[in-house]
Amino acid sequence: MNRYDEPNYRAMLRQMQKPARYTGGELHAVDKRPQFFTIDPQDRVHFALCFPDLYEIGMSNLAIQILYDILNQHESTFCERCFAPAPDMRAYLKTHRLPLTSLETRTPLSEFDMVGISLHYELAYTSVLEMLYLGGIPLESADRGESDPIVVAGGPIACNLEPITPFLDVILLGEGEVALPEIVEAMRENKRSGSSRHDFLVAVSQIPGVYVPSFYSVDYHEDGTVREIKPIEPTAPHQVKKRVIRDLNCAHLPVTPVLPNIEVVHDRIVMEVFRGCARGCRFCQAGFTYRPMRERDKNTLFDAANKLIRNTGCDEIGLLSLSTTDYSELEDLVRKLLPTTEAQHINLSLPSLRMDAFDFELAKQIARTRRAGLTFAPEAGTQRLRDVINKNITEDDMITTAKTAFMNGWSRIKLYFMLGLPTETDEDIDGIAALSRQIIALWDDLPRDVRPKRVHITVSTSFFIPKPFTPFQWSRQISQDEMHEKQKRLANKLSDRRVSFQWHEFESSVMEAVLSRGDRRLAPIIKHAWQSGCYLDAWHEYFRWDLWQEALDMIDGGTDFYTRERPLDEIFPWDHLDIGVTRSFLRDEWQKSKRAETTCACFERCSACGCQTYETGVCQGHGN
Amino acid sequence: MNKILTTEKRSITLFYAREGSASWLAHLDMMRLFERALNRAKWPVSWSEQAYNPRPDIVFALPVGCGIETCLDPVEVTLNLDGASFMAKQSVDTLNMVFPPGVRVVAFEETLLQKKSLMARVVAAKYRFNVPGIGNAMIKTFVDGQPVFVERLRKNKKVVVDIAPRILSVDDVQEDCVVLTGGAGSVGHLRIDLVLDALVRDGGLDHGAALGARVTRLQVFLDELPTDQCIIV
Repeated sequence: MNRYDEPNYRAMLRQMQKPARYTGGELHAVDKRPQFFTIDPQDRVHFALCFPDLYEIGMSNLAIQILYDILNQHESTFCERCFAPAPDMRAYLKTHRLPLTSLETRTPLSEFDMVGISLHYELAYTSVLEMLYLGGIPLESADRGESDPIVVAGGPIACNLEPITPFLDVILLGEGEVALPEIVEAMRENKRSGSSRHDFLVAVSQIPGVYVPSFYSVDYHEDGTVREIKPIEPTAPHQVKKRVIRDLNCAHLPVTPVLPNIEVVHDRIVMEVFRGCARGCRFCQAGFTYRPMRERDKNTLFDAANKLIRNTGCDEIGLLSLSTTDYSELEDLVRKLLPTTEAQHINLSLPSLRMDAFDFELAKQIARTRRAGLTFAPEAGTQRLRDVINKNITEDDMITTAKTAFMNGWSRIKLYFMLGLPTETDEDIDGIAALSRQIIALWDDLPRDVRPKRVHITVSTSFFIPKPFTPFQWSRQISQDEMHEKQKRLANKLSDRRVSFQWHEFESSVMEAVLSRGDRRLAPIIKHAWQSGCYLDAWHEYFRWDLWQEALDMIDGGTDFYTRERPLDEIFPWDHLDIGVTRSFLRDEWQKSKRAETTCACFERCSACGCQTYETGVCQGHGN
Repeated sequence: MNKILTTEKRSITLFYAREGSASWLAHLDMMRLFERALNRAKWPVSWSEQAYNPRPDIVFALPVGCGIETCLDPVEVTLNLDGASFMAKQSVDTLNMVFPPGVRVVAFEETLLQKKSLMARVVAAKYRFNVPGIGNAMIKTFVDGQPVFVERLRKNKKVVVDIAPRILSVDDVQEDCVVLTGGAGSVGHLRIDLVLDALVRDGGLDHGAALGARVTRLQVFLDELPTDQCIIV
């Protein structure tokens, strides 16, 4: 492949829509070129931290910031970033036979010791293949030689990457802050001793949380279901257990994040207040895979917030978690932060709020200057279905919240729902429309002097996707015809001009359902889709359903095989992985959901999900 | 040289250089970059008052195109001192420590609040082009007194413009380097991409070479601000 010289580099950038996606040079980006010649090459580990989506998405991701900071703290680890090129750059690289390179030193991916991919959604699979291809790395793990990089993947969907295991060398299950530096150290040791690629894989397979897929064989029944998954390398564990940080206060919290020079999707400082979730909504994968819930101390967060504000100069700070109102010290933390944020014109944002726990006094203080819309996620239209999914909020909670919102000046409310949930009936769909009508009627009934001048409700729906390691991993996904009918029914019921309806396309929902509960036999299908041009599938404008359909037609039994309801005793492709929550607990939850029985949150009573073996966080009776 | 200002609102004009990766930023990105850098340096920047969405009072004289380096571009910052002292030289030094790589304030001048906005005061800008073969192309394209018509899009309509009179002076021509001064601002503004287009079309400049041109804005001329009065940092 050709390399860049300066005039050619400038010529290339001049033809790009957003050249700064590819130039690096941001504040706090690490430039280790001066150390390059002072450190023994055998001690250096060059790590390309990749995100299979555009720069603006990847740089909004907290995991990238954390891992970049941690790895670069070691003077002999050279961690650089690489993002998926936008279609204009992708075409240019292909036409001019140029390699995909890192931002910091413009080094092609093939020249790194390790390539780490942070995976957050299944629709990024084709982008992974494209990045490996453009980076000059053989696609299949089996085809990689001693001089090729080791490809490591991790992230929230690492609990089932079986559909792309042939393209990966190592998978990291759980939290990367502790395990990734250990993997990098194993690489350094491997380089020093001059050992082989296979020796490295054997060594890392001993590290807790590390899964080497090539060390496991999968046998299938004639009907395509899994018969057995077993280790074929003597050192590989029978079950790989998720890695967890016991004390989140000791976990790395980057206070000098790389500050993008261009606007990214979440253009603000982000601070993780707690990890995991205690609620147990039965559709939510993150709610189970990140267990147990562990909090950060408010003083740690306050100190970090001040440093972040000083080091970045950003005008917005977000408190991140899966359900921010569940943070036990939220009120104290916000009250402590407000004098600083107000004095410096900094907005404080609290995403992921629950309708039953919303504190308006707090919200009023936060939104003193701007009063944007409020967004809540009831998820289902009737109490019965909310009990099925274990979304423990009541209609009274929602009505009270909406009324208080109106009386405090909010006029726009957005409500998220899912269509196609297990046991859903027409009545549940009608319930969504009824709830929005009820909220509008509430505004109508309020005296003019206490309500805002106008009201607007947005009903936003997406389709339910059964995910591994949730109680609904046994559930089916509804067919496309059913999706179409349900969407149409709801649209007809939402006739008020003060209510708008947004929906998610069903094609990509089907794709996601197939990939998320998929097995290794999907690898050639994904490769075929990529070869025919699929790329950046999570983007509405780039998603090629026609090409994906052609690829999906190659599946024995069609997509129904992957979207069907699974019998209770079926072996899942991910059964050799252990995320802490036991299969028996998930099965009991699945059965309870059919009876519309709820399970209380971890901080109310322990339900013995299995995560108590980690002996930390909420499992010890408190959040931290 | 340090000055202590104590009146409530004063403005300071900064002259900044940008190079390398920073030269690929669009105008809005530069604005955000300055806002954040000034926050980090704890400058007492004044905010727009009575606005629904208040913004810091920072005005760039002339937006700079993506891929163009600068040497001395003016940006005016209004300060709300509220009786406090402001050590300009130290503050500029602090600011320079917190910029991302490739951006630096090279000079500054403390000014009284002007009635005329900084943008309205821009009259011209001087550019340097480093491209193989640009000298010859320049001589062939711009012949004394002859128009050079180029097409450009304005509100989705093609408009033909004569760019020759917008070049106020050609200051240096060498084989691989040209320095010229063009009109800038609201009247007679010279667009650099159109100059390169004309050089490719009429002067035989290689298209690929033109795309790879290194373009540097050497100076922006303001009607009332001779830059030799600035304090060079």
